[in-house]
Amino acid sequence: MEQEVIEAEMILPTHLRFKKIQMHEKYPKGQARGRHWKHLKQIIQAENYQNYPPDEPNYVNIETPPSMHPRKHICDITGFEAPYSDPRTHLRYANTEVFKLIRSLPNEYVQRYLALRNAAVVLK
Amino acid sequence: MASSNVVVVLDNGGGLIKAGIGGERDPTAVVPNCTARPLSSKKFLLADQLLSPSEDLTSAVLRRPFDRGYLINHDLQSTIWSHIFSSLLKITPSSSSLLLTEPLFNLPSIQRSTDEIIFEEFNFRSLFVSDSPSLVHLYEASRRPYDVVSKAQCSLVVDLGFSFAHAAPVFQNFTVNYGVKRMDLGGKALTNYLKELVSYRSINVMDETFLMDDVKETLCFVSSDVARDLRIARRRGNDNYFRCTYVLPDGITHTKGFVKDPVEAQRYLTLSEDGELPHSEGTEEADQTEAKSKPSERNKVDLTKNEFSLSNERFLVPEMIFRPADLGMNQAGLAECIVRAVNSCHPHLHPVLYESIILTGGSTLFPGFAKRLENQLRPLVPDVYQVKITTQEDPILGVWRGGSLLASSPDFDAMCITKTEYEELGSFRCRRRFFH
Repeated sequence: MEQEVIEAEMILPTHLRFKKIQMHEKYPKGQARGRHWKHLKQIIQAENYQNYPPDEPNYVNIETPPSMHPRKHICDITGFEAPYSDPRTHLRYANTEVFKLIRSLPNEYVQRYLALRNAAVVLK
Repeated sequence: MASSNVVVVLDNGGGLIKAGIGGERDPTAVVPNCTARPLSSKKFLLADQLLSPSEDLTSAVLRRPFDRGYLINHDLQSTIWSHIFSSLLKITPSSSSLLLTEPLFNLPSIQRSTDEIIFEEFNFRSLFVSDSPSLVHLYEASRRPYDVVSKAQCSLVVDLGFSFAHAAPVFQNFTVNYGVKRMDLGGKALTNYLKELVSYRSINVMDETFLMDDVKETLCFVSSDVARDLRIARRRGNDNYFRCTYVLPDGITHTKGFVKDPVEAQRYLTLSEDGELPHSEGTEEADQTEAKSKPSERNKVDLTKNEFSLSNERFLVPEMIFRPADLGMNQAGLAECIVRAVNSCHPHLHPVLYESIILTGGSTLFPGFAKRLENQLRPLVPDVYQVKITTQEDPILGVWRGGSLLASSPDFDAMCITKTEYEELGSFRCRRRFFH
């Protein structure tokens, strides 16, 4: 800042050289500020992480990968452990009683059960 | 000029803000990092105002400046900060320095806006930004100078916070950034899962975040043998050692919920290996008289009283930390996450890292957590290595204490970026100094 300005004890809005938009231009005094925050997903998208080198750690690639252990299979109807799966409907079931029930279900219901564990076939 | 070298240490977590003056042992303020409006009023309450016992926070509308662990709403955050600085810490920012903690791999645009608030809105004299694992390591190394942590100068910090869990190897006070692994599961997700379970099974509590936080903190625990505990939880009546009742606030006599019978809720702690309670004659007699006086009351749900009972929810909720796949998350559990973090470091570090695992963060406070983690981790680690897990004495404040220690060190001033430097160089070039 120039010496005269400092001596005159004027209060000027600070001008920062590295910024394209200064603080006082961004938020003018006496104006209401609306919602101006973004969700994290939007911020991450704006960051363009897909252009970064893949071996450099960043938010997107430090996530733990899925487990190496096989998943436990759970019956779609009863919630017990399911040793079997029906080849026709692809539902998992615990015992013969449930199997009878599965075979009596209309296809629409089967698809809904599958959708609960993200296994439904979606035709687009 | 005693006031000129005040260092404010601010551990800005997604759930709780820990704020205080550097060099002290405990923070001045540990307050929720959110603002909430109770149904009865029109004003939003900030941070410490939420903690007063007279406030009725039933179905309060809640706003947080954080989304998935990252600061997104800087407006709200600066309101909360200015409240903390002026009325809790009573400092003037323009004559003090700030030590701020940041989540690992904070996004550059968030860093820029944070610097903008700190230097242009609050006018802090200087700023130092740190990540939590290195501060935890610093604190633990100074507490136990003859331990592996300080002799090898490296440790594996497992920070299980409000929004996510990080397993971060620390080497010579720096977080090894290529070794960090993140699991997107924290205290908030656990509370939400508990809310879902209770709402589905008894009373709709989807809007009662503060209440369910309390339920989670007082009643949940980590089971050491899930199959056994599920069998016990299936029993009826008094044989179900996990059943306990939580009374909801009624808004007249009490505004906070509480556990109906604290002794009953603590029974699981005395369970033996085969899942039986140790029998003493006194309790048996008491049980029998109780059973005679109200034979069927236990199984009946009294709809006039606002209460719900929990049994297997108490250990199934923290169980998600070890098996996130059950929640439908496509990520491995905490034990595998730790193994992955260690494996991405140099092989020479592996034995030392396994021997110096430090648990920190509020979600490690569940009883039995460290024991269960060790049980899960042991089969995954080569048997020539030792596994040693230490829990911090106060996991919530651990990061803050490390920060306080760093702030009182003589080199601290030299490590900071000052306001003048910021005004000349800008956020991005200043941040390079912190190596992250």
